[in-house]
Amino acid sequence: MVDQAHKPEETAVPNNLQQHHKQDEEQQQSVRENAEYEDEELHKLLVPDITQLPLTPPSSVESNFASYFAPDFMKPGNDQYVYRHPNGLCVVGLASTHSAFKDKGGVSAVDFNVGKSDRSGMKVTGKRKKASSFGNAQHFESNTALCKVCTNDDSYIIRCCVKGSLLEVNERLIKQPDLLNSSADREGYIAIIMPKPADWLKVKSSLLSLEDFKKSREAGSILPSHNSS
Amino acid sequence: MSNEVESAQVSDATEVTQLSSSAGMESHAGSCDEEIPLQLLNDAVRSLPYHVVKDLLSIGVCSRCVLRIFGTEDHIYCHPLLSQSMIRSILEEVTGFKSEGDFQLCSVCLGILQFSYCDGKEEMVKMESPNDMASTISELVKTEGHQIDGFSLEVSVPQLILENESSLLLGMKKRDGSEPWFQERVLSKCVSVKDVLKIAITKPLETLLDVKSTSSGCFRIRLTYTHKRASDNYVEKNQGFKRRRIGTGNGLHNVNDETVITSKVCSDYSTNETTSVTGRSSNILQDQDPSEHFRMPIDKVSEPCHLVYLCYRTHIYLCGRYLKYSRNVSQTRWIIDEERMGEASVEEVIGSNILPMCRGDNYKFHAAGREDIDVRMLGSGRPFLLEIQNARQVPSEETIKEIELKINCLENKLVGVKNLKVVGSQGWTLMREGEAEKQKQYCALVWISRPLEDEDVQSISLLNDMQILQKTPIRVLHRRSPLERQKIIHWMKIERIAGSSQYFLLHLCTQAGTYIKEFVHGDFGRTQPSIGSILGCRAEIMQLDVTDVKMDSF
Repeated sequence: MVDQAHKPEETAVPNNLQQHHKQDEEQQQSVRENAEYEDEELHKLLVPDITQLPLTPPSSVESNFASYFAPDFMKPGNDQYVYRHPNGLCVVGLASTHSAFKDKGGVSAVDFNVGKSDRSGMKVTGKRKKASSFGNAQHFESNTALCKVCTNDDSYIIRCCVKGSLLEVNERLIKQPDLLNSSADREGYIAIIMPKPADWLKVKSSLLSLEDFKKSREAGSILPSHNSS
Repeated sequence: MSNEVESAQVSDATEVTQLSSSAGMESHAGSCDEEIPLQLLNDAVRSLPYHVVKDLLSIGVCSRCVLRIFGTEDHIYCHPLLSQSMIRSILEEVTGFKSEGDFQLCSVCLGILQFSYCDGKEEMVKMESPNDMASTISELVKTEGHQIDGFSLEVSVPQLILENESSLLLGMKKRDGSEPWFQERVLSKCVSVKDVLKIAITKPLETLLDVKSTSSGCFRIRLTYTHKRASDNYVEKNQGFKRRRIGTGNGLHNVNDETVITSKVCSDYSTNETTSVTGRSSNILQDQDPSEHFRMPIDKVSEPCHLVYLCYRTHIYLCGRYLKYSRNVSQTRWIIDEERMGEASVEEVIGSNILPMCRGDNYKFHAAGREDIDVRMLGSGRPFLLEIQNARQVPSEETIKEIELKINCLENKLVGVKNLKVVGSQGWTLMREGEAEKQKQYCALVWISRPLEDEDVQSISLLNDMQILQKTPIRVLHRRSPLERQKIIHWMKIERIAGSSQYFLLHLCTQAGTYIKEFVHGDFGRTQPSIGSILGCRAEIMQLDVTDVKMDSF
């Protein structure tokens, strides 16, 4: 790079420059190496130990919610679930043993226009300061109707199960009622309700745990599950 | 009247020297230090209208107040060698005033310029010279162990004093408003109590502390005078005042509550004016509406003011990036029903290791965003700002390196720190700027309900700047408004894991504010699209790590 045949005075400067270039290069090289080293260290932390992982892990619902069931709620065959989050919110929906799933073709339509108002039209707004007052959410009893689920043969009124403020209904069910057939316990949920602590305690005593629910169903007729995970 | 004054001034030099030697100087006989100040004082006193001075002294105005009202140059009566009694004697000698003997608190400044006050122990303190006050302050600074390179002096006096002065000056104006001495001196050169006190104390303080005084330093010395009588009048008016929130509720971790309580107590009292050294407070007569404050005669006071000394350093800030290696450590102290959540908090690990090195009172932790307790913060780390209140010492670069090393070598290896350094108040702006805008990078351990195919890896890597719609996740829906938030997933990359067909690592870079967990499992279908919906199966998130928080300035 540098012509070494130059006279001594003239080579002094280029030599220095060469040194600087070299220093820069070395610096850049070490910065790159540092970065690579850090990336490697980071990667080591990220990769899990496969042997410690279960073949089938618990689902997000199983990990984050406590599951309760209401068999034959207000009507035989009307099995519903209540998934309760530690923060108090309850997701309600149809249990896999619900009569609607026994009808041929399963669920064909969902209508939220029941009772005094169309549940799907409601929009809860406003900031809330206390967990008990959710803006303009409506307060429903446990037997208040949420929606009507229709099959080819029949229609079923689905009710809240839990007394509290209605925060949300699953509007996707209107256009995609089949969600109930494919995953009633997840994407096919019906609504989200927030009960007051006292109200929850009251209703909790009338609900069954998963274990007890399975037993109660087995004791009666054995109903195959339509929903596979 | 003015003739009398002139003739007095013309009297001879010998009288002056006689006065100075007889005016109680026996204890200093032989020392020539006070001679010049005494001389100047004598001359100054002789320039005053004697009958007016006598009137003022008779209604209980103290010597320094008399001198300042006439706009006497401050070095003349604020000289540390001139004691209260010296000044008084000269005034009395020259003007022929006979005092009643006993010490009386000034009816205007309530003893402030007589360096008399009631201390924290409710004991009366009476100092002769401004040096004594400077000594007390200097002792306080040294006891607290403050390391300083400058100070800023602030004085706060009760409104009552301004009222007293206002009444007095109005009274004088009524009687002698047309006199030349009133026009030329009182009206335009009257110096305020606060300014006199500050001038008197500043130089001796500079000497004792061996630093200079500045107008807006980081180290504040505050003298707050309050008077009981004034507070009775003003308590009702101050009910509406905003009080400073104190306590652990807003994240303050108190080591020493006294400093904070003192300030709170001060705000309970009458409205005080506080100005710093430069800029004399404007002349009362020019500002006030006379009809409001006229009150003659001034009542004599028997109680001195209550004085509180406060010295503190304004907030210092340390910034850096933190790493969180544990899935059981929260970012900030988290206590529910008296039980701590998680085994430690980033805030406490960092704060408790830095606070003692600064010898501060308490700290406040601020970070650019946050991660859940079970999410690790790795890679570049997350920017944070630590506010230290009343640090006795600003940590040096070496100390900072020590702190960093100490935290990073802690046995339990829960938290790490990078790029720690002291930063000015602009640290705030840098933080706020970076928070909402920046992108975050994550690594999630995902499980799907069927084996992973090559097409999946391909299709995921092709999605760039994909928009998703997230309803407020159920896990935070109890405390956040129900909204639908549009977020962007900038890029994604699947990394297969050797030995597993259904587990894989998902690397992704998203817009700030995206809920990653919900993006993976779908949150009952309330986040659309989700990894599950994109791959057409059920997806679960097992672990999440933040691998990069992009913020240039940190």
